[in-house]
Amino acid sequence: MSHVRLDALSKVYGSNAPAVDDLTLTVERGEFLALLGPSGCGKTTTLRMIAGLVPPTGGTITVGGADVTSLPPYRRNMGLVFQNYALFPHMSVADNIAFGLEMRNLPRSEQTSRIAEALAMVRLEGYEKRRPRELSGGQQQRVALARALVIRPDVLLLDECLSNLDAKLREQMRIEIREIQRRLGITAIFVTHDQVEALTMCDRVALMDRGRLAQVGTPEDVYERPANRFVANFVGRINVMRGEANGASLAVAGAPVAVANAPRTQGTVDVMVRPHRMTIRPEDVAAAAGENRVSGTIGRIVYIGDVIQVAVDTPAGPLVAERTTTGPDWHTLAVGQRVAVAWSAADTLVFPPEAR
Amino acid sequence: MSLLRRPGMLWLALPATAVLLFTYVAPMFGLARMSFNRTLPGGAMQPDWTLATYAEMAADSFNLELTLNSIQLSFTATTFALLLAYPVSLFLFRTESRFRSLLAIIAIGPLLVNGVVRVFGWIAVLGDRGLVNSALLALGLVSEPVRLIYNWTGVTIGLTESLLPYMVLALLAGFGRLDREVEAAAMSLGARPWRVFVRVTLPLSLPAIVLGWLICFILAMSAFVTPKLLGGGRVFVLATQVFEEAVDTVNWPLAAALSVYMLVLLLLFLGAYGALTRRVER
Amino acid sequence: MIAKWLSTAALIALAAFVAPSAQAQGQTPNTAVSGTITLVAYAGIFQDNYVATVVEPFQRHFPNVRVNYFPGGTSAQMLGTARAQRNDPQTDVIIMDASVSMIGNGEGLFERLTPADVPSLNELFPEARAAGGEFGPAVTFDHLVLVYDTQRVQPPLTTLRQLWDPSLRGQLGVSAPPNIQGLALTVMVAKMEGADYRQTIDPAIRRLRELAPSVQTFDPSPDGYTLILNGAIRVATGWNARAQLIHDQSQGRLGVLLPPEGSVYQINTINVTRGGRNRAAALAFTNYALGQEAQKAFTERMFYGPTNARAQISPAALARTAASPENQARMIPVDWSWMATVRDQWNNRWRREVIAAGSR
Repeated sequence: MSHVRLDALSKVYGSNAPAVDDLTLTVERGEFLALLGPSGCGKTTTLRMIAGLVPPTGGTITVGGADVTSLPPYRRNMGLVFQNYALFPHMSVADNIAFGLEMRNLPRSEQTSRIAEALAMVRLEGYEKRRPRELSGGQQQRVALARALVIRPDVLLLDECLSNLDAKLREQMRIEIREIQRRLGITAIFVTHDQVEALTMCDRVALMDRGRLAQVGTPEDVYERPANRFVANFVGRINVMRGEANGASLAVAGAPVAVANAPRTQGTVDVMVRPHRMTIRPEDVAAAAGENRVSGTIGRIVYIGDVIQVAVDTPAGPLVAERTTTGPDWHTLAVGQRVAVAWSAADTLVFPPEAR
Repeated sequence: MSLLRRPGMLWLALPATAVLLFTYVAPMFGLARMSFNRTLPGGAMQPDWTLATYAEMAADSFNLELTLNSIQLSFTATTFALLLAYPVSLFLFRTESRFRSLLAIIAIGPLLVNGVVRVFGWIAVLGDRGLVNSALLALGLVSEPVRLIYNWTGVTIGLTESLLPYMVLALLAGFGRLDREVEAAAMSLGARPWRVFVRVTLPLSLPAIVLGWLICFILAMSAFVTPKLLGGGRVFVLATQVFEEAVDTVNWPLAAALSVYMLVLLLLFLGAYGALTRRVER
Repeated sequence: MIAKWLSTAALIALAAFVAPSAQAQGQTPNTAVSGTITLVAYAGIFQDNYVATVVEPFQRHFPNVRVNYFPGGTSAQMLGTARAQRNDPQTDVIIMDASVSMIGNGEGLFERLTPADVPSLNELFPEARAAGGEFGPAVTFDHLVLVYDTQRVQPPLTTLRQLWDPSLRGQLGVSAPPNIQGLALTVMVAKMEGADYRQTIDPAIRRLRELAPSVQTFDPSPDGYTLILNGAIRVATGWNARAQLIHDQSQGRLGVLLPPEGSVYQINTINVTRGGRNRAAALAFTNYALGQEAQKAFTERMFYGPTNARAQISPAALARTAASPENQARMIPVDWSWMATVRDQWNNRWRREVIAAGSR
């Protein structure tokens, strides 16, 4: 049964284009949902409307079946973690965590035990008396998390809360937050512009584009089966070729291309293939059955470590193929070499071109 | 700080230091020197190195009265100014209105008007035949004018108003730590708006409050025009006494000694302020 | 150095020779005295009239002397200027209140004057001479008056005692000490109560306490005349000369009363700066200012009482000063140097007993 439900939610500021436009979305109990999208797509506004900090101009929000749309934030029982942590600078770590408990008039003894519990959960035992500015970014992040969770909120809302951390710490916090969320079984909504965060941490990803929902699905859904050109482009790297569709057949640079699910459009389309689903083959070896290929010259080889990227100039435009460096044979590739770029029909995505 | 430690940078402070030296430090020394001169019975001043004036000042209990008057008036006016300026400043600090700069200019606009002119404005408003009394009489709330000027009430009103722009500026400058997100966090944790204000907004604006209060208190202690012109000869404070000794009685050593005394008093307040902010910061 | 000393000595000798001839005013211009002098006195209406009736005629008599009139602010500010320039005076003649020039005399800022230097001294009223002792004498007499709004005080004010009338409650502007108007008023009230202010001011203070609730301001600013014409108050203390001018300017709206109970002189003295650059011209100007022609002209223009006993003032003008025989009889003599010794004490009594008796 759905726990959080957004129904036709909208937010319009003045006479501008809507920041959030007719958004309908459900989050299951205990689910970890990512709200993913570029900056300005309306994901933070959506989160703030759920928290009660921004009043919607239309639509409803229900939590556990109750309509909370017009409830003020202090009556919603949601744990909110901010991008800049928003800790109370004039209070100690313990007082920060105690704040929500105090507002709920919990007895002292219960407060004390809950604070200890929360600190243990984020592994900050012994930091009770510190001031926020005496903590590192990661520690502040953990305090903010503890402060949000200690009130046992109905929903945990996380707003870009990892983006101020350095790469190593970010990876560690990803695991930690996911761990805690699972252990508590709490419903969580996580706003991010980082697709890796969204894919690795969350059960489902809701992609937003210019205030509207572009696609909702599991990480695999949005990566493997993007619903539209925007999703395909935003989640992961992808090659884009110009193609001509004619009923069931499709051609790129004059050559026919096999597609698993034939497009039902006519005319110009975008043909998209992820780099790691493309392979480099010798030009003279014949194509396997159902394999698409296009010949070209290697323009650039970029060594990344675990993978190399091979950029090939083809009649279909520049294409990037990615392959692991597991075997030794990649050394045989060189700039200027004639090669063929090949991919399977199943990995070929076809979308109507971006509206211009 | 670290800038000043670089040897070349010290020169940048030179012009300001020189100006201060000539316009402030040197006259201060002159004033201190004056306070050690002797006043002869007929009023003539004789160059000397004597503490007689200080002894005379200490022996006159009226000076204690003046000190208490000054502190009481400054305390009251500064506190009123704070209470009035705080909401305005908070609004100005937060508003996203495109008229924000215009509103800020309106708030500090009175600074552009000469203090004496402002006082006469108050006389026009608060006088027996002024705006307020005309309204009260017309509404039948009083049968004869309420005395709102030429007494402590008038001076308190006038002084409060004259402090307002400084208070607004000081508060705006001191609101650095105020953060909407922190208040939003408090609200999301279950704090109603009033508790957000008491537990978060107010403590975070404490440095601004202390700064504004101190600046305005010092300004109020040394304010002379308002008590002189709105006091109707009934309001005796240290600043008006210095003026009187310098201009009416022509007892310059006493005027100088009183000034030195005021300076020491204000330095004590500054010291207390320093101690207080160190505690607030912690 | 010696040359400078010699030239100074020569000038002094010259001045001694020239001065008596300056007596012959209104006749042939005196060209023997020359140079520039700086005169410091009050600004505004005083300056306008003094330049027209004294400075300019003087320059016609002494075509080689230029008088720069420098408005010096209050008497205290003028004393400040003199003090600051003690070692290098930039001024030559200063006209200021007697209570302040006395301090300057005590500090050696001003010259002693003798009839040999300033022959007009011999023509002055004795009290004008006495006002400066051996130093600069009185150049103008003024006196404390009550000024009132003739439109709103009915019947017109005729006595000092009327100030206590309940109808004037909240309508008075009284300049309290240390303003000398307040000191003068104390003397007048003491006299009204039949006391000698030199013995005790207790009766005066007692009466003034009763007056306190009627007083709207003890520090009228900018001054009582303005507040009356504004309609803010109805009666105030003031100085006669200025009051007479404002009476005329306001077409009689401002009434002026020299109370029958008595009044007190305010005295301006004329003082020659010690060590001034042009002593001869300074003495010549002082002599002219004290002389009959200047005294007559200035009194008739501005209603300051003359200090020269021989000045032939028109009866109309004289009647509006304290110098008419009838008015002179009402004047209460005050020794301002004695006053300097009791001023602080009076001041304190006003604050603690009189002003404190009104509402805070």
